[in-house]
Amino acid sequence: MRLPSVQCVTIRNENIMDLTRRQFLQMVGGSATGAVLFAACGVPEESRYINSPHQMPEDLVTGLDNWYATLCRQCTTSEGLVVRVVEGRAKKVEGNVDYPINLGKHSAKCEASLQSLYNPDRIDRPLLRVGDRGKGEFNEIGWSDALARITNQLQILQTQNKQNGFVMITDPLSAHLGDVTQRFVSGFGGRHLQYETIERTNISRAMKEVYSQEIMPDFDISNSAYILSFGADWLNTWTSPTRYMRAYGEFRQGKDRERGTLVHVDPRFSATAANADQWVPINPGWEGILALGIANVILSDGLVSDSIRSSLSPDDIAIIDQYTPEKISLDVGVNADKIRLIAHEFSSHAPALAIGGGSAAAHTNGLFNMKAVYWLNYLVGSVGVEGGVIFNPEPPVPSVGKYSSSFEDFRNLSQEMSRGEISALMIRGADPWYGLPEDSGFRRATFEVPFIFAVSNFLDDTTAMADLILPENDAFEDWGSDIPDPAPGYQLIGFQQPVVRPFYENLGDELGTKNFADIMIGLAPQLGLDLALPGTTFTEILKAGAEDLWRENRGSITAADFDSFWYGVLQRGGWWDKDSKYQGTIPSVSNVPNPKSPKFDHSPSQFPYHLIPFTSTGIGDGEGAFLPWLQATPDPITTATWQTWLEINVYDAEKLEISEGDVISVTSASGKSIDVLAFPHPGVPPGVLSVPIGQGHISGGRYSEDRGSNIMSILTPNVDEESGALAWAATKVRIEKTGEWMRVPKLENTFSEFPRDENQHIIKVTPDESSSDH
Amino acid sequence: MANEKWGMVIDLDKCTGCQACVVACQSENNVPINDEPLYNQRRASAWIHIERYWEGEFPDVKARFIPVLCQHCDDAPCEPVCPVFATYHNSSGLNVQVYNRCIGTRFCANNCPYQVRFFNFWEPSWPETLKNQLNPDVTVRSRGIMEKCTFCIQRIHKAGRNAKSEGREIRDGNDLDIRALDPACVNSCPTNTLMFYDMNDPESEIAKLAHDELEHDGRGYHLLEDYGTHPSITYLKKVDKDAELHHDSH
Amino acid sequence: MLPGDFDIQILKPTRKRVVLGLVALASTLGFLVVLGFVLTFILSSWWARPIVFGYDEGPDQPIAFPHTTHVQDLGMECTFCHRNVEKGASASVPAVSLCMTCHKVVGDDSEEVAKLREYYDLGKSINWVRIHRVPDHVQFVHDAHIKHFSGEGKTVVETMTNPDSQIFLEDAKKMKRDSSINPGDIKDIESSEVCAVCHGDVASMSKVKQVRPLKMGDCVNCHRDNNAPAECAVCHY
Repeated sequence: MRLPSVQCVTIRNENIMDLTRRQFLQMVGGSATGAVLFAACGVPEESRYINSPHQMPEDLVTGLDNWYATLCRQCTTSEGLVVRVVEGRAKKVEGNVDYPINLGKHSAKCEASLQSLYNPDRIDRPLLRVGDRGKGEFNEIGWSDALARITNQLQILQTQNKQNGFVMITDPLSAHLGDVTQRFVSGFGGRHLQYETIERTNISRAMKEVYSQEIMPDFDISNSAYILSFGADWLNTWTSPTRYMRAYGEFRQGKDRERGTLVHVDPRFSATAANADQWVPINPGWEGILALGIANVILSDGLVSDSIRSSLSPDDIAIIDQYTPEKISLDVGVNADKIRLIAHEFSSHAPALAIGGGSAAAHTNGLFNMKAVYWLNYLVGSVGVEGGVIFNPEPPVPSVGKYSSSFEDFRNLSQEMSRGEISALMIRGADPWYGLPEDSGFRRATFEVPFIFAVSNFLDDTTAMADLILPENDAFEDWGSDIPDPAPGYQLIGFQQPVVRPFYENLGDELGTKNFADIMIGLAPQLGLDLALPGTTFTEILKAGAEDLWRENRGSITAADFDSFWYGVLQRGGWWDKDSKYQGTIPSVSNVPNPKSPKFDHSPSQFPYHLIPFTSTGIGDGEGAFLPWLQATPDPITTATWQTWLEINVYDAEKLEISEGDVISVTSASGKSIDVLAFPHPGVPPGVLSVPIGQGHISGGRYSEDRGSNIMSILTPNVDEESGALAWAATKVRIEKTGEWMRVPKLENTFSEFPRDENQHIIKVTPDESSSDH
Repeated sequence: MANEKWGMVIDLDKCTGCQACVVACQSENNVPINDEPLYNQRRASAWIHIERYWEGEFPDVKARFIPVLCQHCDDAPCEPVCPVFATYHNSSGLNVQVYNRCIGTRFCANNCPYQVRFFNFWEPSWPETLKNQLNPDVTVRSRGIMEKCTFCIQRIHKAGRNAKSEGREIRDGNDLDIRALDPACVNSCPTNTLMFYDMNDPESEIAKLAHDELEHDGRGYHLLEDYGTHPSITYLKKVDKDAELHHDSH
Repeated sequence: MLPGDFDIQILKPTRKRVVLGLVALASTLGFLVVLGFVLTFILSSWWARPIVFGYDEGPDQPIAFPHTTHVQDLGMECTFCHRNVEKGASASVPAVSLCMTCHKVVGDDSEEVAKLREYYDLGKSINWVRIHRVPDHVQFVHDAHIKHFSGEGKTVVETMTNPDSQIFLEDAKKMKRDSSINPGDIKDIESSEVCAVCHGDVASMSKVKQVRPLKMGDCVNCHRDNNAPAECAVCHY
């Protein structure tokens, strides 16, 4: 047998597999299997060692957590927190159960503040500008050098007798830090302005003129039966949302009480509107007139008590008489019958509470709107009673007011800056470059100021304009105190303590971060200022302040010696006295505010849409844009994230052939425009557009840069003439499609909607019944 | 680990959609950051998230908020389909995901009617400094692993150990002990919408609430009840006042 | 049988057949390569993990700390240095300052003590080479185990099959250095005496080494023998 001979197999010249060596290596080396295999080999370097620290603090046990009480400083609300610290690293934020403002609860912003402490884009050393202002080029310098430069500049001002050319712009400060700042600035001879993107000027003035109160009162929501709110998104972003939300839980399903009713009046479908039993869409700016219309019905239908009626002056009644529902219905945009119904309900469910704020305060008649809304509380007798408006007592330590200066103040400042009258600007905790409309002139004027230095942790828009940047300790690394505004109806001061050592302390004394008050205290002697402070460091000043409290021997903590008192205060996160309530008179009524209609002085054909900007649940007014958790937090109504979108009525959008994701150019009468992503949804009234505030930062790090648009920049600088507040809801705009499209990053449609169960109806409750017996 | 059976009551009448629970969960459980590309790919990982439902048309439009998280079903559809038994029902009534066993077939996510299971399509990564915030009690998952709400099992275990070493039951103790046990979302919820409880605890007020509301005319219900999954979470319906206000046109 | 009887059809090497042949070859090779990778992965995982740093002989440490001197000769308890073992998940290694409480004055003639003093004076921390490590996906909690085995009235047994809390006789003898202990004795076991169950007779190790594999099977068997919960979520969460 012969085996078949093997014939040579010839392959024709065309290569079947034209595989180059590179492709082969890519296939093998880059294959998933290869990657997995090679990655699995090996233990991370850190795991191969156990570290014996040089010293072990007594309270630090490996692997065990410690909890320290402190305050959240993400926003002005300053909730009380306890922070979980494991081996010197802050891991988790929880609410402080004792702290009266939030009683153990906390908001998304507080939770995310941990990312501010460990943010990769945090400034960790003093920076000196090189290159032109605004280019964002900085070199590092040491603290001694930086402070010497500042001292030098300020001393020049002193020798030239131009101290009043020094302006400090900060966030609203209170308690001991406010005190030190005030002493520093006035001791130097300069001026101090407090800045917030959404100012509270109209509300604070309304409180003064309607209630004769210098500070914000508390709203007793948990005991209220009926809440009528105008514009303020108090369930998500307005003033003290965590506290209000906690009370809201009781308001709805509290034990031993009937379920409360919430009616919300707003040109925008906010989260508060979504939670309301009834959302009343209104033409923007007419909230005050609507309030007068409600007052009119209450008076004319005899729904007011005799004592209150008798305390009204004839002039007041004459004013109210003019605003019948029929007369105002067209202007206000609310059906006359509905106005009557609301008036009847509001006056028949006691205690009823009227709350106003948000966009209702941000018109050319914003102050009037606020006064009219808060005046309604007199009519239903809920001022100074349970379930109504509760006045707050004097703060326990002398405190600078926490209110921001008005927009008019900043516009005047810009003019002074342009005229070269401002020689030095110091900025801390404020971003006016971002929040002020371009038409305010602030941006242009910044270039005329010879010396700007900023105390800041992030390279936000304003900080990027500075000549010198001094990094501040993060809130979790720092000492401080805060008087909440509004207080909870009694005296309260919160104390902030470091929960971790400064993250950058290993960089040495010349680099790293410092406390803001300590910076000022350090500069003072060089400038020949005697601040007359009870200590040489801020910690000492705080302790001295605490000593004053200890001597009063009252409140939540009393002790035989000061040290025990101090530890008690730090453990509880603050000091309060539930017995020290408001002692002054509670007025029975005040004059009816002078009615004013809102003004929109731009041609309605050219600029047909009302623009209502709103504070984002996640990134707030933009201060949260550096924190990825907040950027990734879906907006409650649209579930959109990470970008700036335009909420537009579905039929308006249809008419213009706009669908979700279309890039729309929004132009205001100031001539400026921004690009936003269209997001039509069922909750938008026709003719109204809403855009979230917070994106569009020019600088600031990887999470905030090159993202979205800054709606505040295009606003027309309308002001309330009486108060000087910016009427940020009074801008009218037009929109155009740019032809581009971008997917809106949102949570919706990540999962398909659960099928609705036809048999699971939401319980309907008629007005006479409540569901509390279920 | 005695004989607890963990559950939750979620009162939809109180949920305001504030997202505090969402961020609290991400902070506690080392959930990867949902950056923009992840949202655009519809792969955002939100162990608890707020579903928003629209009802009606302007001006009578309403939006409802429902926090949705793993229901820890007694008859979970996700458990029988895992080829490697990476998910199972433990003795405390929790649906447990064992990360190191998971091989990433994603059959469980497919089967879950509530769509509360999340797959790490990408390797989760944090900038170096942000890693300091990661919770050491929770495993950091890598690419290719399913994850979902665990009712913060690390807290339950810790509370159990503490209770055992002090010779008492888990639920005994003061408010702070309960807060140490409650999941992160429950602790943060400002309105007290989320309530965590032990179904086997005869004295639990929340158990009484759930029991009462599940009666015929109560507000209690389960999500997708007809699927027969027997979830451990009882939802309480939102109350809608059918007032005359509702009938008017704008 | 004549040559040529077998009329084997030699397939002509047409292009189609060549391609098919090559595809078959490639897929077989590919399959073998993938199989090879997978097997390598699995086998290396099984044998090489957890990476045992010191199975035969302990690794060198930055300072040659002898447990023999401190435990056998001086009679120090484990918990004097490893203080965290009853409190938390990890049994910590003491800080340099703890060593210095004695070695500020003791051990002038030792080179290693000199090294220790240098670390302390320069403010440096010591990076000990880790011996025992469980992977990241295991949450091992020391205090639960210590508390289970230590305490009053424990039974000393020869092996671990008795459902009551018990302790290895050999290990108890070693830790107590007491040859009078017998199986069946009831003893009050201190925390320090439990360590040997997993870590072996550390007292006699001049260089610490790992004596048990500490793989999952090891853990699960011990859990089963001792009536401890052995479901996945106990350790993997």
